[in-house]
Amino acid sequence: MNTKAQKPLILIIDDEEALRDGCRQALEKSGYAVLAAGEGVEGIKIAREQIPDMAFVDLKMPNISGMEIIEILSKDIPDMVLIMITGYASIISAVEAMQKGAYDYLPKPFSPDQLRALTRRGLDHRNLKIEARRLREEKERMEKSFITFVSHEMRSPLVVIRQYIESLKAIAGDRFDKDVTDIIERCSKRIQGLEEMIEHWLDLSRIEDGTLAQKKDPLNLASIIARSTEEMIPVCRKKGISLETNITENLPEITGDEESLVRVFTNIIGNATKYTPEGGKITVSAQHDEYYVTASISDTGTGIPHDKIPFIFEPFFRVRGKEEKHRGSGLGLTFCKKIMESHSGGIEVTSREGEGTTFILTFPARIPAA
Amino acid sequence: MTTKKKILLIDDDKDFLFATKLILEKGGYEVFMAEDGKTGVEMWKSVSPDLAIIDMMMETWGEGFSVLNKIRATDTGKNTPLFMLSAVDLQGPYQSYEPPAEFPKVNKVLHKPVKAEDLLSYIAQELGGK
Repeated sequence: MNTKAQKPLILIIDDEEALRDGCRQALEKSGYAVLAAGEGVEGIKIAREQIPDMAFVDLKMPNISGMEIIEILSKDIPDMVLIMITGYASIISAVEAMQKGAYDYLPKPFSPDQLRALTRRGLDHRNLKIEARRLREEKERMEKSFITFVSHEMRSPLVVIRQYIESLKAIAGDRFDKDVTDIIERCSKRIQGLEEMIEHWLDLSRIEDGTLAQKKDPLNLASIIARSTEEMIPVCRKKGISLETNITENLPEITGDEESLVRVFTNIIGNATKYTPEGGKITVSAQHDEYYVTASISDTGTGIPHDKIPFIFEPFFRVRGKEEKHRGSGLGLTFCKKIMESHSGGIEVTSREGEGTTFILTFPARIPAA
Repeated sequence: MTTKKKILLIDDDKDFLFATKLILEKGGYEVFMAEDGKTGVEMWKSVSPDLAIIDMMMETWGEGFSVLNKIRATDTGKNTPLFMLSAVDLQGPYQSYEPPAEFPKVNKVLHKPVKAEDLLSYIAQELGGK
């Protein structure tokens, strides 16, 4: 950014000496600092060295044309406001210049007042542009630090509340009636749920700012499924649901982040356990064709109503609204979808009410290194 | 009556200190609390506790580690069991902190919130019962 004198610095590139001098006088009189160049190469050199706030460039000059100068300078110094000086006849070229990055054009002949008015307007435009960028950067910075802020400021009180509940149970647990213990337990569960929601929400922000799921390792889907099902077996057993796998041999490798994919599978299997009645079955299978490896997770659960299917990946959407018995964070499937997207994969769902639901995950097969 | 074993708690959250103190007192320990690293190290020297529990992340990231180093550097701190409380993970969920090899020994890393029974049983393991 221009840190030289407080005076805005204006560059005039024109091969007519009289015009350069006229502009200089008019602008200096209004308190601007003025640089001048008689042709393009010199003008570009001055611009690069001095970084003026604004430049007036004549269209018709020997050697480099004004059009080329504008093209070069608008790339080199994006903050500099460029004005094309042009004869009446060449409005078309003025428009072209504006497409190439000029802010406006000034038709010849022009009066000192016209020049000054346009200079003022151009500089205002520049200040607004810089201010807008500063605000945008500030916003991005705040969004980033917001993640950190949330993780600390919102989670620590929840952690403390749970610690208090622990101490309450430790110091007086044996004196509580069952209904008191129940209330405490319910509070504890809900707080844990809130913590989970914050955690999941943070995960989503981390995917968006690129700090999550960044690994691009060669992976075997079979071992990811094995890890995930192993993790979910206790829950299934507790609910009396059987969990089976059916994986074709020699699956091609895929590319991605093992930890987040395990979470995609445990998330979907976890959902299935919530909506599958006792005695039901969850099947995880995987197969492949030449280009894709596909995994599916099917349950024999309650299914999703047809009209609700389009919304299930939306944050906080609940299929049964307020009547939902199983209150998760409401972000699980959103997480899964984002993770699948970051793996250039897909996630789809088919479901029939009363019969069950199937989630299908598609991954591009890894192209083996030659 | 045998004298109670002494535990020093260092954490910058007053409520966390208080809640944990209640659990430890219920477990039969005498509890000393410090709200910042500097006070913690001073109390370590004046109280000579049998065990200390230090929050990893106080005012600044890593404050807990420098407290740990300072305590380990004292005469009484060489062999006393020290527990660390893991902070909210800011690096992402999978990059849990791995201390470098040359790092002073931590006897146990605890994750907040700590279950009362777990806390007391870990301490009992280190101090060999009350």
